[in-house]
Amino acid sequence: MNNSSEKYLRLFGVTEAQMRQLVAEGLRGGGDWCDLYFEDTVATDLVLRDGEVSSGGSQEDYGCGIRVLDGEKTGYAYAESTAWNELLRAARAAGSIAAGSKSGSAAVKATPGTPQSARYGNCYPIKTDWRDTEAAQFVPVLRKLDAAIRQKDSRVQKVVAVLSWQMSEIMMFNSLGELTADTRPVASIIASVIFRQGNQIENKTVSRSFRKGAEMITDALVEELACKAVEGLDDRFEARRPKGGEMPVVMAAGASGILLHEAMGHAFEADFNRKGQSVFADKMGKRVAMQGINILDDATIPGNRGSLNYDDEGVPGQKTYMVQDGVLRSYLHDRISARYYGIESTGNGRRESFRFNPIPRMRCTYMESGRDGTLQDLIGSVRKGIFVDQFANGQVKIGEGDFTFYVKSGYTIENGRLAMPVKDINIIGNGPEALADIKAVAGDLRIDDATWTCGKDQSAYVSCGIPSVLVNKLIVGGE
Amino acid sequence: MLSQEEKTLARECLEMAQECGAQKARVSFNKSSMDMVATLNGEVDKVTSCLDSSLEICLFVDGRFGSFSTNRTEKDALRGFISRAVRTVRMLAPDPCRDLPAPERVAKNSVTGRELEIYDAAILEMTAERRRQIALDAAASASEGRGWKMVSEEGEYSDSCELSYIVDSQGLEALQCETCFDYGVETTIEDSAGDKYSAYWWTSSPFLSKFDASSCGKTALDRAVAKIHPKRVRSGKYNMVVFEDVASKMVSPILNALGGYSIQQNNSFLLDSIGKQLFPKGMNLVDRPHIKGNTGSRLFDSEGVATKEHDIIRDGVVQEFFLNTFTAAKLGMEPTVESAIRPVLLPFSSAGPAPAGMGVDEILKLCGKGIFVTDFNGGNSNSATGDFSYGIEGFWFEDGKILKPVSEMLVTGNFISLWNNLLAAGDDSRQCKSKLIPTLAFKDVDFSG
Repeated sequence: MNNSSEKYLRLFGVTEAQMRQLVAEGLRGGGDWCDLYFEDTVATDLVLRDGEVSSGGSQEDYGCGIRVLDGEKTGYAYAESTAWNELLRAARAAGSIAAGSKSGSAAVKATPGTPQSARYGNCYPIKTDWRDTEAAQFVPVLRKLDAAIRQKDSRVQKVVAVLSWQMSEIMMFNSLGELTADTRPVASIIASVIFRQGNQIENKTVSRSFRKGAEMITDALVEELACKAVEGLDDRFEARRPKGGEMPVVMAAGASGILLHEAMGHAFEADFNRKGQSVFADKMGKRVAMQGINILDDATIPGNRGSLNYDDEGVPGQKTYMVQDGVLRSYLHDRISARYYGIESTGNGRRESFRFNPIPRMRCTYMESGRDGTLQDLIGSVRKGIFVDQFANGQVKIGEGDFTFYVKSGYTIENGRLAMPVKDINIIGNGPEALADIKAVAGDLRIDDATWTCGKDQSAYVSCGIPSVLVNKLIVGGE
Repeated sequence: MLSQEEKTLARECLEMAQECGAQKARVSFNKSSMDMVATLNGEVDKVTSCLDSSLEICLFVDGRFGSFSTNRTEKDALRGFISRAVRTVRMLAPDPCRDLPAPERVAKNSVTGRELEIYDAAILEMTAERRRQIALDAAASASEGRGWKMVSEEGEYSDSCELSYIVDSQGLEALQCETCFDYGVETTIEDSAGDKYSAYWWTSSPFLSKFDASSCGKTALDRAVAKIHPKRVRSGKYNMVVFEDVASKMVSPILNALGGYSIQQNNSFLLDSIGKQLFPKGMNLVDRPHIKGNTGSRLFDSEGVATKEHDIIRDGVVQEFFLNTFTAAKLGMEPTVESAIRPVLLPFSSAGPAPAGMGVDEILKLCGKGIFVTDFNGGNSNSATGDFSYGIEGFWFEDGKILKPVSEMLVTGNFISLWNNLLAAGDDSRQCKSKLIPTLAFKDVDFSG
């Protein structure tokens, strides 16, 4: 224990001795692992609508989740206070999973976290703690964003701008006696804009999100968002649905990382593989993409929305190569799956809040730059296909491997040149086939800093990135 | 149930808010419990026990508005929280459109919380052993069949109770209680070539006595087996039949487009639509929030406004927007309710009066040939234009008979033109849902494959 730990123990009103007692209570009926997850989160938001910052608020969420594992079986309960009787109730409820179990004593089978020496340092150093600010100081920021967007295009009809920030104090303790604590910021600024041209209405949403303090709010960020909000607007009004069907797809650097998240990332999450459900369940060590392709899931990018000093099981954040030189090298593990596979956790055990047990989740998923030239080279190599650059959402069916992502804007490609602007189309493919079908990777990796949120059972802040890539064939929605 | 102390605490929050400087306030005390047993391949895999309570506090201070929530319900902590909240609201711009609903609009008939008869005291008698037994009994019995074997079967039984108590500084007091017994199962199988197929099925009821999950495992398994060896169909225009279990995907964008926030922000493809014939004659979408004993019934919305039985679309004509106090004032219109509570799409046939009891088989026969959509895979719609594009899976059918599964296909179009190509709406929506949308059929829909 050190001074830093003392701060968290005081905040949650417990001692290490009491936490040991709770762990013992959870394991009283059997089981081989128990962990405690204390959380104190305060979130604040400000909303500009019709030119005025006229609504806002805050949410407090405080409690402790207690998990007991009996082999791969999970017992989970939580308390919304840290009153001793409430914590004991939760520990006993979680321990019921092991009722009658023949498991050995605590810690015998538990997988320790990666040694502290493996840490990459603080992934979210905070210069200005959001809690030391007053909401009033950000009112002018939203007004400035509203004015900047309106000033850039006369077709702007409505702007809703939202600034939200959240600070979470997290403390974890487990049956190995490991005590871990973290203070996590996350903040987002979003602008949803309605444009009108004649009788035609279009909408567009742009956002930026970081694990940073209030220093992230700058004039440059406001200007960047305003420019993004009106970018490509002429084409948006002219865009049509393309003729649908199977065709080559060139995906722009940055937000196209949604391809990796949906087509591969989920299928690499080890819980799906442990249960044999993933389409990649039997592909470890096998070639899944062309040589030279490296795909990672990374918790260590400073200030990134998906970064974590520690995951929600107390395992240090790390950088995990899932695919190296085209070969599947690692799934994304929490402690349960790591134990099942007999390896160390990759630090992917995440949860939405103390109300949820941790499961394997992505962090920032991206592909390293390739050596196949530029975006223009990729577009130039396609006779008839489609180029996509902005997205709304995606989904995957784990067993079949069929994934989709929704394209907000792009262009048809005719004889190596961008032709007709397109919008509002879904694209569908099969994960392993799409991964194997990536035929060119440009050297322009970009991480997208929008408000990506993954919804696998629980919400999780994530991000994604990719260099421009050419996928040989995907199915494009159209008329 | 909610204790007298908890009700008193909610009222004390109103007093604290006013002592701190709020002229008006609304407080909701939300409390819920949920116990869950999950199974994996016929064995208990996870048990979860949840108890939640939170206070939502809306403050109206000097013509300004803010919304706050906390799950720290100790009185001393609450006083500090509300005091800080009032200070925050004072930093915001005034907004004359923010106000509590007029007292004559709020619910006065929701006193015990049990008026709609969707609370079952049997939940108090549930034991851990009973929950385990229900979860284990619902699992499928077969683990392999001709050309397939089971990879995994993940089931989840839960029972929950939700209470919402709402008071405001103008005298509103309303309480709602609802229980839910729920089971869902996802089955994954593998064919002889190693290709995997997954399917899901579920059921729920507010009452333990009406809850029967015994066939869920088999239904999910049958649905997964039916998907073996899918084919892609050539891109083109086909009739589309959408299975009732997923048909709300076609209706939700309409309800969203009629929502006050969408209308006020011009972010709706149904702007200026009231009184207009935008949907086919004979199509009727109604809101039925007061059906006793049915999932999702409500006597009041989140403002405490009394819900009502009303038409949303009558004979193809849009009847009203969903306007809460704020959006109505912004638009200069009369407020209604903030959203559709329990929307019901009534049976429809483009060929004349819809026959009673029309289900999937009759609708497939009516359509003859096309694609029967049983699930969606991602996709989205443009709220301003009504354009949509979704991934689908389902079956190719001819002469009303299912011939082969299809996958990796997309359906693309615009909601206004889609609904004007409505061929039929069935009479088969399941009562366990809060949106009662039956099997639907549309003609000439663009599929890509």
